Amino acid sequence: MRDRKFCVDIGGVDLKNPVMTASGTFGYGREFDELIDLNQLGGIIVKGLSLLPSPGNPPPRIIETPCGMLNAIGLENIGIEAFVNEKLSFLKNFSTPIFINIYGKTVDEYADLASRIDELDDVAGLEVNISCPNVKAGGIAFGVGCDAAAEVVESVRKRTSKPLMVKLSPNVTDIVEIAKSVEGAGADSISLINTITGMMIDIAKRRPVLANITGGLSGPAIKPVALRMVWQVAREVKIPVIGIGGIMNAEDAIAFLIAGATAVQVGTANFVNPRATIDIIEGIDSFMAKENLDQVGDLIGSIRI
Amino acid sequence: MKSFAQKHQKIAKVIWNKPESHADFRIGLTCSSVYENALPGQFVTLHLPGNMTPLLRRPFSIHRLIKENKHVIGIEILYKVVGGFTEKLTRAITGDPIDLLGPIGNGFTVSKKFKKIALVGGGIGIAPLVFLADAITENGVCLSDSIACLGGRTSDDILCKSVFKSFDLTIRTTTDDGSEGEQGLVTRPLEKWITSHRPDMVYACGPMPMLRAVADIANKNELPCEISIETIMACGLGACLGCAVNKNKTTGKYQHVCIDGPVFDAKTHIF
Repeated sequence: MRDRKFCVDIGGVDLKNPVMTASGTFGYGREFDELIDLNQLGGIIVKGLSLLPSPGNPPPRIIETPCGMLNAIGLENIGIEAFVNEKLSFLKNFSTPIFINIYGKTVDEYADLASRIDELDDVAGLEVNISCPNVKAGGIAFGVGCDAAAEVVESVRKRTSKPLMVKLSPNVTDIVEIAKSVEGAGADSISLINTITGMMIDIAKRRPVLANITGGLSGPAIKPVALRMVWQVAREVKIPVIGIGGIMNAEDAIAFLIAGATAVQVGTANFVNPRATIDIIEGIDSFMAKENLDQVGDLIGSIRI
Repeated sequence: MKSFAQKHQKIAKVIWNKPESHADFRIGLTCSSVYENALPGQFVTLHLPGNMTPLLRRPFSIHRLIKENKHVIGIEILYKVVGGFTEKLTRAITGDPIDLLGPIGNGFTVSKKFKKIALVGGGIGIAPLVFLADAITENGVCLSDSIACLGGRTSDDILCKSVFKSFDLTIRTTTDDGSEGEQGLVTRPLEKWITSHRPDMVYACGPMPMLRAVADIANKNELPCEISIETIMACGLGACLGCAVNKNKTTGKYQHVCIDGPVFDAKTHIF
């Protein structure tokens, strides 16, 4: 156990350190168990789950881009029941808080998922992915409009008393107004950013590289966008903000804390170096020692402007 | 097809790194003792420490194990220079650190029951077949009744011919331009051989159109066949699910090269 100076509270969940794994980049946790000690993590956010299993998109699903990657996995997952029956018992063995990331195609699907997860004692909280298309609104993502975003969060809030983290889409005109809207709807914390929608074209074939045509950009390429949005949101909301976007090392994570994030999620870096989270935790520790900081809170929001 | 070796990540050291042909290189890397249990067909992922470009790890099949006093002390990778990562890899010199993660995935089924075998390799897909031939002969099966069909675009792509000769098997080579062996597809000598020597197993690794053609021939002749598939991949751990390939006939689900493969049964694979 690390000492108290590393603890953070993200809207009702105490983390032993501010470093979590981003949904979709860490499987259901077990995939990394051979390579790192899961007990050392601040939090694990498992792959996005839907009510029923989802087959995902046809291949090709990923392509590397300059300092990043573009993916259109299509949220392939085993569904909430298979997760509860096959994956959760393994995760119970660890002291690290487990968050389930959920997504739905309708508001009711989100609400039903929240009800089911509310029954699970071994789950610390929910992360709500609002970047998915709303089938009842012609496929426009819930997360790009204040009203739709708030409607999803309210419906989830009504069905669970567990801490609620809401993950914002960066593909919006004004991230601050969406953040305020989900805060008003009952979110306990806000995580941002999800991937930025992008596209790659194979010029020889004159075809999109990904079978899905478009995909989500992640990795170091999006870090400046993510930092800017975290900074904008953190100063406008009262609830904790969790920074995500191209965090590859401790310096990146520290920048997000300084911008106002209470904690961070590490995503694409897990693919490049499965030990990335552990290296980042150790690197934040060294930085704090060098800067004579007593607690991680001294970094959070400490930006000088 | 089985998988049991525990995965391991470490900073390996380059033992040597040398050109094989005009576009192919051979690199030796130190490895941990978990590779004692590595299976032919399994792969590793590499990353050049500190490099953001290229960003993602790259998968490479294990070409051979390097042994000293019967213990595995390293692995050999045979690689084609195709882009930024492999270009940088050619510049690695003895002693350089390389981030090595593996062994990953399942392996080819090796059995004493398979006495007559067809190995089919296309281009750099020939690489894992040498580890396979090593494992088969170490398992006590003589390959003298077997065949290796090696195909490529030009004679430069026909790798490891002399190594295969040392296994005392029949070798047939084909090239697109006729610069080595028969001009045409590697499946032509395979099909001819199959009709006169019914093999117990067909193993294939190479580009997708070749694998499809080999699988069709094996399925038509009702022969067991295992194919090893290469694809773009991010984590290699079953976390990102980016390496999905075609669906499985039985389950109807997408198969992922890193956790369901890279070796697949030709009968259950939908091309």
